[in-house]
Amino acid sequence: MSVAGQVVGGGIGDILVRQQSGSRLEVGDLLVSEEENSILILEVFGLQYGSQIDGRVQEMMSGVILEEGPPDAEFYEPNFVNYVMARVKALARVNRDLSVNLPKSLPAFFGKLRIISSEDLKFLQGGGRDRIFIGYIRSGSKVIRDAKVWLDARDIFTHHLLIPATTGRGKSNLVKCILYHLLDSSGVGALVLDAHNEYYGLNGEVGLSSHPDARNSLVYYTPTDPPPGSRHLTISLDTIRPDHFEGIVEFSDAQVRTMRKYYSDYRGEWISQIMLTDLSMLGEAESRRDAETRSITMAVLQQKIRQALDLEVDREQNVVVSRHNVFDSVRGGRTADEVVRNIEEGRVVVLDTSKLNDQAELVVGSIIATRILDHYREAKTRGVLRDKPVATIVIEEAPRVIGEEVLQSRTNNIYSTIAREGRKFKVGLTAVTQLSSVIPKAILANMNTKIILGNEMKMERMALIESASQDLSEDDRTIASLDRGEAIITSIFVPFALPIQIPHFEEMAQQRPPPASGTTRVKVF
Amino acid sequence: MKFAHLADVHLGFQKQEPLQEMERRIFEGVVDRCIAEGVDFVLVCGDLFHVNIPDMRVQKIAMKKFRDMHDAGIPVYAVYGSHDFSPTSSSAIDLLEAAGYLNKVTVPSDDGDLIRLNYVQDKNTGARLAGFSGLKAGRDVEYYERLDREYLESADGFRIFLFHGAVGEMLQDEISGESLPLSYMPRGLDYYAGGHLHTFRNRSFSGYENVVYPGTLFAGQTADMEENARGRGRGFVMVDFGDRVERVRFVEAPGCRYEMVDVDADGLASEEAAARIRSMVDSIDPTGKVVILKAYGELGSGRTADIDFSAIRKGLLQGGAYHVMIHRRGLTSKEYKTRGESTGTREEIERRTFQDSIANVRIKRADLTGHRGVDLSTKLLATLRHPRPDNEKKADYERRVTADATSKMGLE
Repeated sequence: MSVAGQVVGGGIGDILVRQQSGSRLEVGDLLVSEEENSILILEVFGLQYGSQIDGRVQEMMSGVILEEGPPDAEFYEPNFVNYVMARVKALARVNRDLSVNLPKSLPAFFGKLRIISSEDLKFLQGGGRDRIFIGYIRSGSKVIRDAKVWLDARDIFTHHLLIPATTGRGKSNLVKCILYHLLDSSGVGALVLDAHNEYYGLNGEVGLSSHPDARNSLVYYTPTDPPPGSRHLTISLDTIRPDHFEGIVEFSDAQVRTMRKYYSDYRGEWISQIMLTDLSMLGEAESRRDAETRSITMAVLQQKIRQALDLEVDREQNVVVSRHNVFDSVRGGRTADEVVRNIEEGRVVVLDTSKLNDQAELVVGSIIATRILDHYREAKTRGVLRDKPVATIVIEEAPRVIGEEVLQSRTNNIYSTIAREGRKFKVGLTAVTQLSSVIPKAILANMNTKIILGNEMKMERMALIESASQDLSEDDRTIASLDRGEAIITSIFVPFALPIQIPHFEEMAQQRPPPASGTTRVKVF
Repeated sequence: MKFAHLADVHLGFQKQEPLQEMERRIFEGVVDRCIAEGVDFVLVCGDLFHVNIPDMRVQKIAMKKFRDMHDAGIPVYAVYGSHDFSPTSSSAIDLLEAAGYLNKVTVPSDDGDLIRLNYVQDKNTGARLAGFSGLKAGRDVEYYERLDREYLESADGFRIFLFHGAVGEMLQDEISGESLPLSYMPRGLDYYAGGHLHTFRNRSFSGYENVVYPGTLFAGQTADMEENARGRGRGFVMVDFGDRVERVRFVEAPGCRYEMVDVDADGLASEEAAARIRSMVDSIDPTGKVVILKAYGELGSGRTADIDFSAIRKGLLQGGAYHVMIHRRGLTSKEYKTRGESTGTREEIERRTFQDSIANVRIKRADLTGHRGVDLSTKLLATLRHPRPDNEKKADYERRVTADATSKMGLE
């Protein structure tokens, strides 16, 4: 056993360990105390110097060295006299049968600790059809390649997943890795609103389309020039209902009433009818004042819908057209149903929303998310929910829909509804954000798995620490110092907060064999 | 110049003599119209026949009319559909081709992993045609994945791509099932001649102008007859063209007159339901019409068998109905309830049934569960569903079906 240190004091949650000379402990290092029928896994959360020499004497010695400059001044037996003290906390007790408990006792006093090895982490091992690979266990900055973290996809996506980080810490890479592994699972279907069109893999880039089973498990929609095998993202205006705007676009009561009235009168054509309404023809039989009010309401409503959905009115043809080809008054009547069907069959559906404005993107997501939740609610009523895969909605910049300010100023939207009650119906959110602190605590606490990447903002770290599934109260600095690709998983589905190294997506994808297509000849009839 | 675009004729679908006669008349009328209008050529985009080897009566009808077109100097270009093709045996399409009455436009050449389709050029107009047949259970997807699109896109002239399959972007009222993305087709061609969707539709997309389905001429599934009765026009497409498509028009084929009787019997006792049906039937004039009686709902008491549908049919025929169809799959009783959904095409209902059933099976094999399990089941059913043709020995049939099924399951 290679000894890294020895327990010399402290108590529960803050154990003091003297570092063995020659070993170089790091914050985040995982240590092991071998006990009778179990091992205790501990984590370093603080490092400080220790010395047998009084501080004032040390200062004086430093003065002598600096000012007098004796050429060969050194401590007598320096390894005994000066050392590093590590502050560690116990994370988990792993029993011989690989069961894991939260530790309720201290390691043996004066017990020797060693750096963790992959053998100690066997309890984590094992992929499977519905398990996804998140990364490798990391001890400080050392990556233990043999210790892979696989999580049950059904569990983590049902109970919502939060991916918080600031720019440049590897959010996109992590999301790609997760989605890539979801392509192997038919137990989870995902709707991905890809605001940067970065996940699919276009123009020879490695992306989700590089997955060997992408043909069966991945569906990609884009508004223009879809690559072979992918689909046009065109959604019929008929499929939009007034409630799809809820919590996304702010409407006055009068505007909402008008929308509902048009929906009631014209059903699928309500948006076209509003957009094509000639304001001068409104309220002909009413008083002038009423007519003016209605005209103003309608004008503002037209403007809001036009801006939200990027619509234009072609007065010559008397039709409503979409600037980005996504909304259409004729085509795309089945798109939402197709997307939902694919998700219900356990596929990953990526929508390229890069050409849409914020509101239009959220409305598209709202149309589909509402259908998914409705289907799953109905499945629960019919007693067949068990047979459905978990559905997750992947949304970036999540505070746009589940932020405190949004939820206070507007009505609930489908995303916040899913965050609050989707779990009962196997529908979850995968929320990616830089700003966790603006998400209400109730929602944040409901997100039962968080993969925390580096974050230098204190307020964000505190929001995460306070809502974590494990006690991360001593990990503030650790989170701040997480480098690109380094993360901590805190979840009700892991025995302790797991420090991980997320694989580099391109390297990971290139290690898999390419799609089988092209290796055998097909007979063409 | 102009051409006619037909698809989903489903000759041989009708099993009852009056409807077989109607099917024949409509088909013959359409061919005669094409000849009379002097079209330069005719496209048939799959499912000319309802099965790959229809009975002799059907083959005779087709042979005669294709000969008429041949004699009139009108070439016919075709791809197989999912119904009239079999990977293991011949098709009546092959017979028409052997007779010189029809040209298949799927002419692949070997180019390694890619499938290169060579254009067939129409001698009269110079139009270039290429296409893929539609195979059951989405097996044609592999064709499209390997298609050398650039080769087709780089050719000059007026270019038509024939296909048989549901393009996702063209779906509208269909219950979602497997569909083909338009992006699999070569871009920038002049006309995309489709088959498989049974109602007319014509749309354009960026890079894909004139994606057209003519729909069925009469009916290829039971739901088509109901749609006909509700006023759906059936026919084919006539396309005027020069260097580009100039006009696409739907030409309605005269069919028969219909009367649809919808009876919601939900919650009624069987005697009440019978009385309601009688009353509704009595209120129509069935003379010379195809009457479709559709009864649905769950009877509150009594059995569905308590309703004497054969007497109702007899009464309607005596009243002068051309033909009577009674659809009562949606009618159940509390005393005997079967699970099942009756909406959608047969393929859609089958897929849903597999989805439901597979969801109840507890196995860990990924290839047997989820959408992969449904795909495999659908492929197996496609192999196993056809009865032995009269001209095939039982032993040969069993050997063929077994080999096909084991191949699909990857057990070779």
